[in-house]
Amino acid sequence: MISRQRRAREMSLAYFLLLPSLAIFALFVFYPFFKNFYLGLFRTPPFPGLPKTYVGFDQYSEVLSSSEFLNSLKTTIAFAIMTVPTGIVLGLGLAVLAHRQLRGVGIYRTIFSSTVATSVAVASVIFGTLFNPVVGLLPWLGIDPRPPILDNPDLALPAVAIVTIWQTLGLTFILMSSGLQTIPEDLYEAARVDGATPTRRFWQVTLPLLSPTIFFAVVVGSIFAFQTFGQIDLLTQGGPLKRTNVLTYFIVTSLRQQNNDGKAAVLAVALFSITLVLTLIQVRVLERRVHYA
Amino acid sequence: MPEPAPTESVLPAKANRGEHSLARRLLRYGLLTVLAFIIVFPLYITVVNSLLTPQQITSRPPTFFPKDPQWDSYSRAWNVGNMSKYLVNSAIVTAIITVGQVCTAILAAYAFAFLVFPLKRTIFAVFLATLMVPFEITIITNLTTISDLGWYNSYQGLAVPFLATGFGAFLLRQAFLQVPHDLRDAAALDGYGHFRFMTRVAVPLARPAVAALAVFAFLGAWNQYLWPLLVTEDDKYRTVQIGLKQLSRNSIDQVNVTLAGVVIAALPLVILLLVFQKQLVRGLTAGAVKG
Amino acid sequence: MSRIRTKIVAAGATLSLVVGGLGAVALAAPAAAASLPKCPVNALAKATKPVEITFWHGMNRSLEETLIAITDEFNASQSDVKVKLVNQIGYRETFDKFKAGLTTGELPDVVQLEDTATQQAIDTQAFVPAQSCIKADKYDTSDFVPRVLKRYTVEKVLWPMPFNVSNPVFLYDKAAFRLAGLDPNDPPSTLAEVTAAAEKIKATGQYESGFGLKLDPWYLEQWSSKADELYVNKENGRAGRATKVAFNDKSGRQIFTWMNDMVKSGLALTNSAEGNSAFDNLLGIRSKKVAMSIDTSATLGTISQVLTSGEAGGVELGVAPMPTPSANNKGGVLVGGAALYIVKQSSPAKQAAVWKYMKFLDEPETQATWAAGTGYVPLRESSVDLPQVQQLWAETPGYKVAYDQLLTGVDDAATQGPVIGAFQDVRDAVLAAEQEMFTQGKSPKAALKSAEKAANKAMQEYNSRVGR
Repeated sequence: MISRQRRAREMSLAYFLLLPSLAIFALFVFYPFFKNFYLGLFRTPPFPGLPKTYVGFDQYSEVLSSSEFLNSLKTTIAFAIMTVPTGIVLGLGLAVLAHRQLRGVGIYRTIFSSTVATSVAVASVIFGTLFNPVVGLLPWLGIDPRPPILDNPDLALPAVAIVTIWQTLGLTFILMSSGLQTIPEDLYEAARVDGATPTRRFWQVTLPLLSPTIFFAVVVGSIFAFQTFGQIDLLTQGGPLKRTNVLTYFIVTSLRQQNNDGKAAVLAVALFSITLVLTLIQVRVLERRVHYA
Repeated sequence: MPEPAPTESVLPAKANRGEHSLARRLLRYGLLTVLAFIIVFPLYITVVNSLLTPQQITSRPPTFFPKDPQWDSYSRAWNVGNMSKYLVNSAIVTAIITVGQVCTAILAAYAFAFLVFPLKRTIFAVFLATLMVPFEITIITNLTTISDLGWYNSYQGLAVPFLATGFGAFLLRQAFLQVPHDLRDAAALDGYGHFRFMTRVAVPLARPAVAALAVFAFLGAWNQYLWPLLVTEDDKYRTVQIGLKQLSRNSIDQVNVTLAGVVIAALPLVILLLVFQKQLVRGLTAGAVKG
Repeated sequence: MSRIRTKIVAAGATLSLVVGGLGAVALAAPAAAASLPKCPVNALAKATKPVEITFWHGMNRSLEETLIAITDEFNASQSDVKVKLVNQIGYRETFDKFKAGLTTGELPDVVQLEDTATQQAIDTQAFVPAQSCIKADKYDTSDFVPRVLKRYTVEKVLWPMPFNVSNPVFLYDKAAFRLAGLDPNDPPSTLAEVTAAAEKIKATGQYESGFGLKLDPWYLEQWSSKADELYVNKENGRAGRATKVAFNDKSGRQIFTWMNDMVKSGLALTNSAEGNSAFDNLLGIRSKKVAMSIDTSATLGTISQVLTSGEAGGVELGVAPMPTPSANNKGGVLVGGAALYIVKQSSPAKQAAVWKYMKFLDEPETQATWAAGTGYVPLRESSVDLPQVQQLWAETPGYKVAYDQLLTGVDDAATQGPVIGAFQDVRDAVLAAEQEMFTQGKSPKAALKSAEKAANKAMQEYNSRVGR
């Protein structure tokens, strides 16, 4: 039985603990975001000092029904589908493979996590060089399409996806590994004593107990996939033929190149909403299957 | 029930060592090696290329091992890229952000995992929502805010907007939720207050996740480019990624120098990784939670 | 005989003086509206010295080193003004940062912006036009290369002071020419001749292709100028705000058809203009992928070094004027590069200080040193007589090609170059058209038409938001 006083104390403690985070969020995330939402209601001039015109939700409907937006949305979703499941499966596979008492396994674990040391910029430079038709190694290996990979409308998005998967592999590996470590040894022992095959042990012990981590990886991975920007900016600049024009890049182009704050605001609100809906769906559908202690 | 035949196990167990045939062991090593090779190859070739001359890089067949390493690309990258100062700045800002994020995340995750209070699910959704706000549109407003606070071109300006993290709170919440209930009840019976429970039980148990968060926070901060570029005025506060971009602009005909800069910029992260690697490996043997 | 020659020379000199004088008067004449910000050239006298000014620029490497040297010289030579240089990495980053500063208030006193940014710079209403300073200071601009000043003059107002100038030149492998039976000292001067040369070079079997074609809309602008054709309406945006593009005409189709034919027949290889492939058209000369290309004279320093060095003895690089679409074209190349703008937000003393610094940067002596250290084209005609420039041209004759091109061809609205608010969007439209042509099989005519459509839409969109 918990007294009312204790409940009140628990409540104030909770809010106290949440305060630092919320304060930062309020000032540096939500304030700009709502300001931006408001901005989407205006046709904004390219530079401050010139007047902005109130157009209400006309700009929202105009931008969100444009073919450029729909193409961008399609591209973003395709990119997420290419990178998130693949990345998680690969990271999980590597983590399981390396999660054992083998001699020298530490070296393999270090190598598998090494891509964590690369930033998006670094990974883009590395792969940009590899893909380059003049100095890159792929042409030498026989992979020399015309136009070159990053300028190729059909190959550009998968190429950027590969760079992204590679770059995030280290992180996914570390995440999955840390999750695997929380699974107690005796559970495996018990399963083995019961005669379960390795595959069954994986599906019945590992996977369920790893589900909180996997759930986390799917939700956060999707959110980050939708936020991808750096690789596009460095490797393909939204092209060729807008085949890699993900929403974030579209937003930045509207901001930096067209100086169109209003349009960018609309796109940002759209991106946020889509991500929010997707996350809610994932939480609803997936968290039910997650097995907590 | 028949004794299970020695088979390839997917799980760690000391008992299994004896069961493994040499063939299976070699197969496993082989698989690990192939995967490791594929994953590390881009990094490896970058280090190699950073030690070659530009002509060697473009010559065919390509050079996979530098017989005559050109270390001057590193000195060039260091000097032209102004690396010493930028590395220090990056280190300071990254340390502030990492500590800040770990602390705020621990506090917030604790509340989400162990406390009961109204609006918990809503606030958690709010935390998650911060991850969905595209960074680029917050920049101008944040720049103005930072400028109004007088923090333009300063360490505070570089660090403060990033001291909280929805990602971290989520990650640690998942970890904290895995602390067994009986442990909590035992601690309560022993008279553990929240603070003691947090520092003596929850955080130590969630150490792999905290370590992962620290690594992630460090990376994110170390690899920032756009915000430091806009909020700093000059070299005094600029960070290492800006230096890298400057370097790559300065060396379009000298790929080796750019790649040397890439290696220099990545080196602290690699060292960090090796240090934390031990943390993560130690968790492997700790494993079970004794009641 | 010499007396007649002297008379002719004298007449010519007088004529050019008159024309130059008229030109200077025209420039110094009061501009369209009397509402232009004034330039407080006398504010420096009453200020406490030294007046410190901040200069945001996008120069790298040897360009930055030379800029630092010149600025140090300026700072040391007088005690009125002290210039602080801040490198913002590149043109685009510099402008992005400046635009951010328009909201936060963190602005420099003088900023370097690319040639394509002119209309946007005007629309920011954040600058004092150089024209006002020229007028207030009675500054003589007659020695300037005319086309350079005209590049940055809109509706008769010179907004920035030009600083670094480049233009496109034709680069080729002389050994390849010899191998193909072509005269290495008689490079192609028209696009048709380029095709013919490419055919011969490819036929030798030693080269994968003939010409390196960078996918950069800049080339369409240059070739239109060479053909003496307007790129956008309203006299290329100089007589009023441009509202439509003008490149979808016979000349534009000729250029697009040429590019298409070259690529489709394998005589040209394409590369992107961004990212790390940006100079593959030139680097490809060394790896025998191509033997000819066109690129900005600003790369001559680094690229020629890269191409001519190397284990195999390197490439024997030839530099020539940019080939023109047709033999009888009367136009000339466009001025490329960047210019310096005086920021209005700064105090009058700082504005005066900036003007003093800009005058120094554009002096013949400084421009000569600048050209020698960077390879940019000096924008003062008297600079070419100075020893630094003479030596530079003796060592690398390619630089003289770039200078001469500025004095070749008529100086009219077409060769002034386009002034567009949504410049980058128009370039994106042209680039998309080129890519559709090369990778999706669209015809040159259809591609150009879709470029026109997209470009016009972007221009109207921008113009409507500016309120015109």
